Amino acid sequence: MFPGGLGYLRPPAEIELGAYGLDLRGLRVADIGAGEGRLALGAAREAASVVAVDPDRGALARGRAEARRQRVSNVKFSEGAAQSLRLPDASFDVVIFSWTL
Amino acid sequence: MVDALQEAQRILVDRGVFVDARPDSRVSARVRAKTPRGTVIGTIGTQRPTKTDDAMSDRAVRNVLRRKLFRSRRRGRLWHAIPFEDAGELNDYLTDHLRFSKRVQWLVPAARRRTPLFIERAVRFEILEKR
Repeated sequence: MFPGGLGYLRPPAEIELGAYGLDLRGLRVADIGAGEGRLALGAAREAASVVAVDPDRGALARGRAEARRQRVSNVKFSEGAAQSLRLPDASFDVVIFSWTL
Repeated sequence: MVDALQEAQRILVDRGVFVDARPDSRVSARVRAKTPRGTVIGTIGTQRPTKTDDAMSDRAVRNVLRRKLFRSRRRGRLWHAIPFEDAGELNDYLTDHLRFSKRVQWLVPAARRRTPLFIERAVRFEILEKR
């Protein structure tokens, strides 16, 4: 298998998350600049909960629809910008900026 | 950018993990023929404004490391392949691309570009830990 994945404009979530080498089991994850939730939905397979933040309402709506289609219930999509997150202090074990900075 | 990193640090628990992943504009993308592991027949650079933005992002990360908001745990790179039917489709893709240069630096004559093509781009990541 090609190491970075094939057939997508971004690497598939399992390839990218696998490269990070993090064990997300049971953790609270924030995906900032999540877009349509490519990584958030991938992380949700292991994580306890995922918050996907993005300023693009359309992308968030598509992400919510995809989460329903996949029957993923532990991802919350939230509108916001990386510079001023409306999230509580010390509330996540892992924060991901993928294609965000 | 530093603001965003400070926000990430704020919402993390102590020793929480922060991941910064981005296309690696220091490395030209390769155009490979026929298969993702085929012969390299061209390269694609990065637009100058994007390189400038990436350098600013690098500076922001160095800033928060210097201020001891985070410590670096690990760095790595993965390669991502994007398929195209032929050079025409690839050129159309590049026309609107925000990061890649608009033109491929071809290493072979046009006759050898009439095959399926793959862009192979580098994505770098760094794992940081909140201090």
